[in-house]
Amino acid sequence: MIEAFTDMNSSFFGFLNQGPLTLTIFLHTVIVLPMFWIYFQEKKRLEREN
Amino acid sequence: MSRKKVSVWSDNRFWQRSATWVTGFASILLIWLTFDTMGQITMGNQKDIDNHIAKKVPSATVINYKVEYNMNQFRGHEVPVIGGDDGKGNSLFKVKEKFFGRDDYSQKEADALLHLGKLASQAKNCMDCHTLLGNGAYYAPDLTKAWLDPAWGKDGPLQSMTGKNTKEEAMAEFLQNPGKYPTHARMMPNLGITPKEAKGLVAFLKHMATIDTNGFPRGFGKIKEGVVYAKSK
Amino acid sequence: MQSQSNFKYESQKLGSWYFTVAVILFGAQLLLGLVSAIQFIYPSFLYDILDFSITRMVHINALVVWMVYAMIGSVYYLLPDETGIETVGIGIGKLLFWVLTLAVTIVVLVYIFIQVGPANQTTIWLITEGREYIEAPRWADIGIVVVVLGFLANTFLTAMKGRRTGIMTVILSDMIALAGLYLAGMYFTDNISMDQYWWWWVIHLWVEATWEVMVGALAAYALIKIVDAKREIVEMWLWIEVAMLFGSGILGLGHHYFWIGTPEYWWEIGALFSALEPLPLVGMFVHVLYDWGKEKGLKEHTGADATSNNTPALMWLVSNGFGNFLGAGVWGFFHTLPQVNIYTHGTQFTAAHGHLAFFGAYATILIGMFYMAIQGKYGIKKLRATFDSKMAIFLITFGVLGMTVALTIAGYEQVLIARAQLGGTWDAFFVAQNQLWMSQAMDWRLIMGVVTTVGFFYLVKDLLTISKNPQNVK
Ligand code: HEC
Ligand code: HEM
Ligand code: HEM
Ligand SMILES: [Fe+2]
Repeated sequence: MIEAFTDMNSSFFGFLNQGPLTLTIFLHTVIVLPMFWIYFQEKKRLEREN
Repeated sequence: MSRKKVSVWSDNRFWQRSATWVTGFASILLIWLTFDTMGQITMGNQKDIDNHIAKKVPSATVINYKVEYNMNQFRGHEVPVIGGDDGKGNSLFKVKEKFFGRDDYSQKEADALLHLGKLASQAKNCMDCHTLLGNGAYYAPDLTKAWLDPAWGKDGPLQSMTGKNTKEEAMAEFLQNPGKYPTHARMMPNLGITPKEAKGLVAFLKHMATIDTNGFPRGFGKIKEGVVYAKSK
Repeated sequence: MQSQSNFKYESQKLGSWYFTVAVILFGAQLLLGLVSAIQFIYPSFLYDILDFSITRMVHINALVVWMVYAMIGSVYYLLPDETGIETVGIGIGKLLFWVLTLAVTIVVLVYIFIQVGPANQTTIWLITEGREYIEAPRWADIGIVVVVLGFLANTFLTAMKGRRTGIMTVILSDMIALAGLYLAGMYFTDNISMDQYWWWWVIHLWVEATWEVMVGALAAYALIKIVDAKREIVEMWLWIEVAMLFGSGILGLGHHYFWIGTPEYWWEIGALFSALEPLPLVGMFVHVLYDWGKEKGLKEHTGADATSNNTPALMWLVSNGFGNFLGAGVWGFFHTLPQVNIYTHGTQFTAAHGHLAFFGAYATILIGMFYMAIQGKYGIKKLRATFDSKMAIFLITFGVLGMTVALTIAGYEQVLIARAQLGGTWDAFFVAQNQLWMSQAMDWRLIMGVVTTVGFFYLVKDLLTISKNPQNVK
């Protein structure tokens, strides 16, 4: 599952890039996760307003 | 405390905030990635070569060295190999190669040549007929690894056509008078390239061939049957 | 002509000036495209007189400039509608229009008559920067920035003084990004990898991020005007589109960093983020059809006149929804994974995608905006499509689709023969170019280009005469 790192230079992003889609899934997750928080915040606000 | 049913999904504010978050955060990630990439693609210098440090974009002084494009076992694709191959597709940074009769261009001289060549590539608009690193126009061959094209080598037709016996001189001669050496009906026009500019351009092309392009173009110059087949036409 | 103008605001009149120049440049684009296509088939045509590099450069520069003109024109056009007031500093806006148009004229004349220069900075400053799409010399870059700053000031001051809608908020923030990105293209470096890195910031982050958001905003405005869509709903869609477009498009930039000397981690980032780029485009398509159908149904239900207010604009808007999805979404996705792109990179396949995407995503909706301006100019309540309107949209769309199919076939052939089979050398390139399937595709590209151009003439005729259509409702 976890493949060897094969790029020329290592770096933080290179380190996350360790196998099938690890880096890109990580980035997608950190972008999407906070939207849950926004969702619940807005839900609370709407419930308060209604 | 009546809990009414509310729809966040059809709420304008939720989407506005999400859009702002996603845009802002994606931009921050891009800027961060850009810093990381900048560090990796900054052009190297002769010291790196002396210390045998491979760079994505090596020093302009690579014009003093022999350049190949070989399969690298670790990387899993072809990479530029500078100054000889250690047998596994890594650069040895040893084997020199004369470039217009010299293999001792100083950092300053090499930088100046590359600078002139890059300027010429823009002033003559190579990119609106050719692709460089695969970007540009599709009217003429990709120039990414043109330096390594078999056509320019000892067995290729261009050295005898131009009456020159080195690759760099043949290229420089062709660039100054492309109309004189047509190999196909679709010819390269005369762009008013001077001898000095031609030398700079050849340095630019040789340097470009040493950029580590993650294996693009795949199999460049390796497919012998293809070359034979093409020649027979 | 001016006397019969029914524009309620000077800003709309200025918008129509921008549209007029845009149409002229569109014509120039097609003409030079035809010359480039002829040179593919008869390479001696204008050889050493007006070489392919020059004809192609003018073709794609005219393309970018007419679209920028039409976008600026659209903003000036919708600004009073959205804010409820005349544009602030409209006199300066008009002056800047003439300055920009003069600059564009000089740049084009220099392209055509001087063409190339010696390898020094003077050439970069005065003749050409030689970087595809943004070849304009440095002096013109600076001029463009100044003009755009003036335009931004116009719109900002107006939006601050007048009503502040969601559409305006999106347009304003988008335009700052759009203008700021242009700066990334005004930069010289000896390092070609660095050069291409920043070059793509302009090209990709324009067409796959900021321009797309502009299209979303224009479509939102047009839906309100044409089919009386509800603002709250349209603006909610707009925010969703912004989130999805920027969320995928900004890091989708990575699909251009596979092979230019950049680290391998871009393979993953570019692949997966850009693979999501088609999603918002599907969404936009569904949105247009949904709102159109819904409003029509509502009106039919109440017995009101259910026809749209501007049928030609609506036709172009629907073709935008579809063309954007097809050209950018589907044709883009075809070659966006590195496993595919290593072979398709820089082939006729790219050209196929470039044509359908620019046409489907931008040309269509901007032509729709031309029709909106015609409606405003003549004070027509319901603008009706004529025979010419239909011929224009049919021939132009059919022509571009035909060119795309031809280029896609050429692309497959080039990818398989020149790249996969023969390894991408000089010889490999010409073996592929000289195959019958390639040369036939090039013939068809030219034929379909002529069809497109005929459609363009119908379009111009229609724009000039549609106001007299007896079926229009005054
Ligand atoms: C008007 C279009 C055009 C422009 C501009 C142009 N070329 Fe070419 N070039 C061609 C064509 C066409 C060929 C193929 C000629 C042939 O095969 O006979 C070619 C061939 C070449 C070759 C040999 C092919 C190879 O792969 O090695 C090189 C090298 C080259 N050009 C370099 C350049 C450089 C450097 C520039 C910019 C200074 C440039 N060209 C500008 C059209 C152009
Ligand atoms: C309206 C939106 C779009 C427009 C106008 C557009 C236009 C273009 C153009 C003109 C090029 C060629 C650039 C050059 O000259 O080198 C290009 C390249 C490319 N586009 Fe798009 N594009 C759009 C959307 C997309 C989308 C949504 C995707 C992916 C899903 C995509 C994927 C690509 C890829 C991978 C390339 C690189 C091709 C290569 O390697 O040669 N594009 N695009
Ligand atoms: C008369 C019709 C047209 C003809 C004959 C034509 C022809 C051409 C030719 C020959 C090229 C050069 C391709 C190459 O380098 O190999 C080109 C490039 C291009 N054209 Fe057109 N064109 C036409 C219309 C259009 C339209 C309507 C659009 C978009 C709205 C468009 C957008 C482009 C783009 C974006 C490129 C650059 C593609 C790339 O680099 O990938 N063209 N065209
Ligand atoms: Fe892109």
